[in-house]
Amino acid sequence: MLTSTMSVGSRPPHTKSTAARIADGGEVVVITHEDVDRAHDRVRVSTARARRGFSSRAKLLWLLVGPGVLVMLGENDGPSMLSYAATGAKFGIGFFLPFVALTFCMAIVVQEMTVRLGAATHRGHAELIFERFGPFWGWFSMIDLGIGNFLTLITEFIAIRAGLGFFGVPPWMAILIALVILYGALVSHRYWTWERITLAAALFNLVFIPVALMTHPSWHSVGHSFITWQPLPGFNKDTLLIVLADIGATVTPWMLFFQQSATVDKGMTTKDIRFGRIDTVLGAALATAAAVATILATAPLFAHQMTADTFQAAEFAQALQPLIGRFGASLFALGMVEAGIVASITISTSSAYAFGEVTHKPHSLNLPMGQGKAFYSVLTLCAVAAAAIVLIPGLPLVYVVLVVNVVAVLAMPPALVFLFMLVNDQEIMGDLVSPRWANGLATAVVFILTAAGVLFGISIIAPNIFAALGGK
Amino acid sequence: MTPKEQSPVLISSADQKLALSSLEHDQLVHAKKHFIPRRHLKGPELFVLWALRIYLLFMMAVVGYQVWIAAH
Repeated sequence: MLTSTMSVGSRPPHTKSTAARIADGGEVVVITHEDVDRAHDRVRVSTARARRGFSSRAKLLWLLVGPGVLVMLGENDGPSMLSYAATGAKFGIGFFLPFVALTFCMAIVVQEMTVRLGAATHRGHAELIFERFGPFWGWFSMIDLGIGNFLTLITEFIAIRAGLGFFGVPPWMAILIALVILYGALVSHRYWTWERITLAAALFNLVFIPVALMTHPSWHSVGHSFITWQPLPGFNKDTLLIVLADIGATVTPWMLFFQQSATVDKGMTTKDIRFGRIDTVLGAALATAAAVATILATAPLFAHQMTADTFQAAEFAQALQPLIGRFGASLFALGMVEAGIVASITISTSSAYAFGEVTHKPHSLNLPMGQGKAFYSVLTLCAVAAAAIVLIPGLPLVYVVLVVNVVAVLAMPPALVFLFMLVNDQEIMGDLVSPRWANGLATAVVFILTAAGVLFGISIIAPNIFAALGGK
Repeated sequence: MTPKEQSPVLISSADQKLALSSLEHDQLVHAKKHFIPRRHLKGPELFVLWALRIYLLFMMAVVGYQVWIAAH
């Protein structure tokens, strides 16, 4: 783990926050408001940990859940839910139900590493890449993240616009509502409050479960598909696009950066890693339930032979209305809005964290607005710029979201290799380096993602190969 | 820092002690001014990083081509 003896250089103090200089064992230490806020959060954790009994364990879990649930439900975002909706409408249930569950297992493997990295080093992902591998590789990584985040943010606002459009809300007002909610989560200038507000909003992602129940799915068919992975879809370009989009709906670079930075901002330490893992698995379980429910909800469109190729969020809800009624369709549309809003909060926060980490500007949700101007400005500017683009009429939503998810999958292997190298770096991780089995799983994830990307590339460049193999 | 920002009155001594006792040293904002030493990348690591960088650039071109085809 990081120790002060590892330090070989120093930069000017990156805080302008109101600070107190006090001596601690001969060393002058600057204490900032950010430290004090984090310390108050840690005291509650320590108090809960010191007590015994079920209620204390439950309280400790309540205090420590957050980054994992947020990252997983945040990744069930507008484009992801539309990918799942397109999956159900295009292929029905079968192969894709267990496949989506598998992708969340991959996400657990990857995200658990960020918990360990954040708890062991107390540094964000971007900061570690820059300092450990240098600015050359650091900037590559930042460019990948910046482009990916911005494209994804655009699609979040498209989903919000389309979802609220179902209720007749004009696009400009839908975007304004989303920005007000995003800003509203920030006004407390406390990580803890921001996290709880965003968690409450994220749990609304589960609204897809009652929508799925309204379609009266055949549980026998659902069980059969989970056990047999049947029926298999045809092996062709469209299937590959959906496969990649569904993977991109579950594992993306911003998740690595966000969860590690949030773990650090929350103040988690190595003692909290077990709960960080529970948090991650819990988030993945909730997100899997919502994703599977979305596929089940739109599967009747496949059964009724309806084409959903040009559907936007509102059209999915409208198409479902004859099957599940106005209330169910409204829930579906609201779910899309929620998915877009929560993800726009988490993704813009991930961009702001990364910006602060590489520029050494203060970067924490515990910062008062005056002391975190750069952090909050980046967060707001990313969201506003993406929102403005969405007001351009005529964007082909489903196509755009599928492409954005594909881009996320393609950018993932390089991001994972940095993560893999960092989490196996004994100098910064100490005893918390990944065990062999975890490295094996992580390597498998990199190979699966790379292979999926290569297959997709072949399907575009040389589609005849798929025809020769029996596809279209 | 401005004189106002340097003022120790704005953070009470109780809060200062709380921060020092509750947070690990590396968690303090102050501790993050220290650099983590650069790691020397070995040949195989550089090979993988460059290979994936080229893969990503190539695949981005493929996605661009697909978007171009779809747009036309």
